Amino acid sequence: MISTRTSGLRAAAAAGAAALLLSACGGGGEPGGTTSGGAGGQTAKSGATQIVVDTTFDIKTIDPGREYEPTGQILVKALYDTLLTFADDDTTTVVADLASYQSNDDQTEFTFTMAPGRVFSDGSPVTVDDAVFSLKRLQGLKGNPSFLLDGVSVEKVDDQTLKLTTADPSPALPAVLATPSCGIVNSKLVQENGGSTDESDAAEEFLNQTSAGSGPYVLDKLDTASEAVLVKNPNYNGPQTPVYDTVIVRNTEPATQKMNVERGDSQVALGLSGDMVESLADGVEVESVPSATVVFLLINSDPAVSELTSKPEFVKAVKAAIDYDSLIEIAGRGAAQANGLVPSVFLGALEDSEALKYDAAAAQAAAQAAGATGQKLTLSFPNDIDPTGLNLTTLAERIQSQLSAVGIEVDLAPAPFATEIDAYRDGKEQIGLWYWNPDYMDPANYLAFGPGQTVGLRAGWKQGANAAIEELVSRGYTTGDLAERKTVFEEWGKAMNADGPFVPLVQPGSNVVYQPSVTGVYYNPVWLINVAGLGQS
Amino acid sequence: MSPASANPDAGRPPSGAGGGRRHSALARYVAKRLVIAVGLLFGMTLVTFCLTNLVPGDPVAAALGQRAADDPEIVARFRTEYGLDRSLPAQYLAYLGRLIRFDLGTSWQTHHAVAADLAKAVPATMEIAFGAIVGAALIGITFGAWSAYRRGLATDQVLRLVSLIGISLPTFWTAIVCFYVFYYRLGWAPGSGRLTPGVAAPPNVTGMYTVDALLAGEWRTFVDASAHLALPTLVLTLYTIGLLTRFSRTSILEVLDQDYVRAAKAKGLPGRVVFFRYVLRGAAVPVLTVVGLAFGSLLSGTVLVESVFGWPGLGSYAYQAASKLDLLAVMGVGLVVGLVYLCVNLAVDLAYGFIDPRVRVGR
Amino acid sequence: MTRRSPTARLWRAIPPGLRQPLGLAAGLIALAWLVICLIGPAIAPFDPLAQDLPRFSPPGEVSFLGTDELGRDLFSRILAGARVTIGLALVLVCLSMLIGSLLGLLAGFFGRWVDEAIMRFTDLVMAFPTVILAMVTAAALGASLFNAVLAALVVSWPQYARVVRSIVLGLRGNDFVWSGRLLGFSAVRSIRVDILPGTMGPTLVLASLDIGTAALLLSGLSFLGLGARPPTPEWGSMVSAAVSHFDKWWLGVFPGLAILTVVISFNFIGDALRDALDPGVAPR
Repeated sequence: MISTRTSGLRAAAAAGAAALLLSACGGGGEPGGTTSGGAGGQTAKSGATQIVVDTTFDIKTIDPGREYEPTGQILVKALYDTLLTFADDDTTTVVADLASYQSNDDQTEFTFTMAPGRVFSDGSPVTVDDAVFSLKRLQGLKGNPSFLLDGVSVEKVDDQTLKLTTADPSPALPAVLATPSCGIVNSKLVQENGGSTDESDAAEEFLNQTSAGSGPYVLDKLDTASEAVLVKNPNYNGPQTPVYDTVIVRNTEPATQKMNVERGDSQVALGLSGDMVESLADGVEVESVPSATVVFLLINSDPAVSELTSKPEFVKAVKAAIDYDSLIEIAGRGAAQANGLVPSVFLGALEDSEALKYDAAAAQAAAQAAGATGQKLTLSFPNDIDPTGLNLTTLAERIQSQLSAVGIEVDLAPAPFATEIDAYRDGKEQIGLWYWNPDYMDPANYLAFGPGQTVGLRAGWKQGANAAIEELVSRGYTTGDLAERKTVFEEWGKAMNADGPFVPLVQPGSNVVYQPSVTGVYYNPVWLINVAGLGQS
Repeated sequence: MSPASANPDAGRPPSGAGGGRRHSALARYVAKRLVIAVGLLFGMTLVTFCLTNLVPGDPVAAALGQRAADDPEIVARFRTEYGLDRSLPAQYLAYLGRLIRFDLGTSWQTHHAVAADLAKAVPATMEIAFGAIVGAALIGITFGAWSAYRRGLATDQVLRLVSLIGISLPTFWTAIVCFYVFYYRLGWAPGSGRLTPGVAAPPNVTGMYTVDALLAGEWRTFVDASAHLALPTLVLTLYTIGLLTRFSRTSILEVLDQDYVRAAKAKGLPGRVVFFRYVLRGAAVPVLTVVGLAFGSLLSGTVLVESVFGWPGLGSYAYQAASKLDLLAVMGVGLVVGLVYLCVNLAVDLAYGFIDPRVRVGR
Repeated sequence: MTRRSPTARLWRAIPPGLRQPLGLAAGLIALAWLVICLIGPAIAPFDPLAQDLPRFSPPGEVSFLGTDELGRDLFSRILAGARVTIGLALVLVCLSMLIGSLLGLLAGFFGRWVDEAIMRFTDLVMAFPTVILAMVTAAALGASLFNAVLAALVVSWPQYARVVRSIVLGLRGNDFVWSGRLLGFSAVRSIRVDILPGTMGPTLVLASLDIGTAALLLSGLSFLGLGARPPTPEWGSMVSAAVSHFDKWWLGVFPGLAILTVVISFNFIGDALRDALDPGVAPR
């Protein structure tokens, strides 16, 4: 998936567009949308605690069945519980939330038993019917996240259990069910407000004003241009222990975010780039980890697109021509080399020793062998999106200069995401600079880079191009045993590094800046941070 | 493009001799202008429509998530929903059909009615643009008049230099420098956006936060909104002052050479009286024109300024829409700005009849 | 009658506006930038594209104006960028002058429906906000310098059309044009002999005033990412780097000053030319 985390100049424009979402979003009798009295959470009653989180907004909707943008994930995560989840900073082990599960040996049948006694924010119990409705609705809406449950059939077994069945083994399904999009909604409430499990559903406007989940927080107010106010769900009886009575998530420019958190006007800032974090004032903490976003080069193996790039020698030359350390330096704090396409936080990620290495002499030799004699290739990339604060233009300029050093000449061709995405998806780019954010927390997500798979095809890498890797891809999709799975993905990663038409470059840093009084700040690849997990020291 | 160089005489209304004839001439003139204005608006929709359809990219991929865009069923549904499965002329006609009912369509990006989006963005931009045009007109015309009055003297030289620097400032650069100095270094100005995060917007009446806050009596919100307005308005004012100073000076100097002014001087009226009674009034027409034109160019200038100050106005919306291939949103912006431009022009044209001194002096 | 020395004659040939200290300074600055356009890369202390200096080094440390986010020398990039910004501004002004004048001529000379059609079209383009129209054009065509010039061209020709048309309308009524037509001169000859020379002066003045505006528009488009492609050293796109690296003030300040000085000096010269050709508004 590509989610948009814009920064700097573009964020300004994004904020502008976001501002406009509101009036229609607000629905109901409030055309202006922003008429709630008082000054947001600033006027919280004494004694009550509140926390202010600054981020750059990218919200289209907070209907769990439809949302698929980073800010939406943060909010939906706090408002809706999922059947399964991941705890704190763990990104590999699925744990029970609204239900516990068992699967058959083939990983084709998953049986969920609902946790007893859990209730929605209106006090009504969370039932199997709610779970079935929510998952079927996600599938039926045909919205952005609907693909998550492609090929999964959902059925109610009895009042305590439901069963999910897939045709092919799907060891990744539990991780998928932990994504906020699979949040369980109050089916009665949603249906009363136009909800259904097909395209006739009209509950989006309702869900943008009122949350209908069983999560630790409920929605108090949402202004897609400026802020979201969450308050503690008084009826919450799940395993989490939310600390703050009010959580305010505000749309703030990165430069302003930095000033705010330094001055204590906000407690958490999510939108600072690796560069900005380098010059932070004293008195704030930073959680810097490599994000799960992988920035990579795509080298087209279709000779019709480029004779030169389709040569295996050429791919080898590019892989050795890049000085990975210098890319990390540009990416700033928290960044790390992407050892393989599977980012470091997931099962099956490669060790540092397996990563691609810079070797100018080898690159030069390979480039010559491929017949690169200074003919101009095109390096295309989107220039209005900065994945996790990393400016792709800067990165492309550095890559261009490194390739030039070994005799490979490229012209840079930046374009707005909206224009470039077409050439990328159609496999028309000679060399592309792109990135991949995980859709769910399982390495199976990355098998899309295999020959004949979604992303593989974008590099002109067709089915049958590499039998060994294809074999590993199909094993990756179906192997259930954890230890075996780890080995399969590592083998796959190594094979991709050796022979695949992709060059994993960097995982930009995820930098969460926060006041020392705040505890429980953990980076999550899908929902960034869990605001209900934030504590106070 | 510099409005100062546009021909101020374009479209001057015919000024008939008799009152009755003048009125009917004026009415005919207004009617003609309105017809032309409507024609221009249609032309604009056509131009934007063609331009945005020239784009090599497919708006569907941009509007849908990457995974959703891989699903032919979802793509087909999206195309049907937004009428993209029809031929281009059919799409354009459908757009015009909706336009007649004041329906600007739905933005693919924001999923909301373009009209509703614009209703949020336009007041935000107008808030800066009004402030800038009023400030710039007051200062610029004063400077211009002063400069013309002291023609050739040191004051004139200094003011000419100042106005020259004004029109030479790259607004995007001024904006960054101001933001850096007044916000980042000195901490005098608040950060980007229209309000400090956490301050709720006042009840929506005009959409301009300062006005709405006053109407609602929310003093604190008013102060906050004004503080946020200050820097972007300042940057746009600086540029516009230069423009207006230059143009007022030129117009006033031209009027100084007119026969009726010479006649007034010859009558022995003191220079001051001549200057204020005859010259300024004579120059009012072209100056008014350029104030109108400057307002149009201000709307353009806001694109760059808004992008630096994170101002959720028309410029940001236009930028976002253009780069996301959001066809209907781009057309909506084109319509609104064209409408503003035409209204301003019309207003200026009509104002001629009331303040053109030749109508009075020539009596 | 005393004969003037050649130097004095040359001096008299300079528009009066440029003969005072400020004007002289402006003229010299413009001249300096034009020279830099020609020899900029040759006198640059570093390769403007080489990324081998430390990143974000402040001015004075390893180089005169510091280095950028990739360790390139800012001073060298500014020198190399003169060619891009000024050169393209000149190209843009020439093209808009040509197109605008041609349309203005046609409209003014032939009148009636030709005039009506051309002027309504001009109105149409002028009613669009400059930057937004250029932005849509650039977005439609893709970001490149060529497309940025094309986009800017779309919005910058109308002013020439208007000015030329109004001059031609004035000239057309003159006796010598009428007599020429009565003598059976062709429209082409009439335009060439009687009308074109009359439009030259004002058009050139307008063009000289427009160079600064053109430079601003082009660098503004590059600032928005719709113009120069990286790694071309273009001043507008150099300023935009400052947006994401806020605390590194030198990244934005110096390229911005380069734009400012170019625009000021060319505007000053344009002013002086106008004053010289149109004494009615001269500061005297």
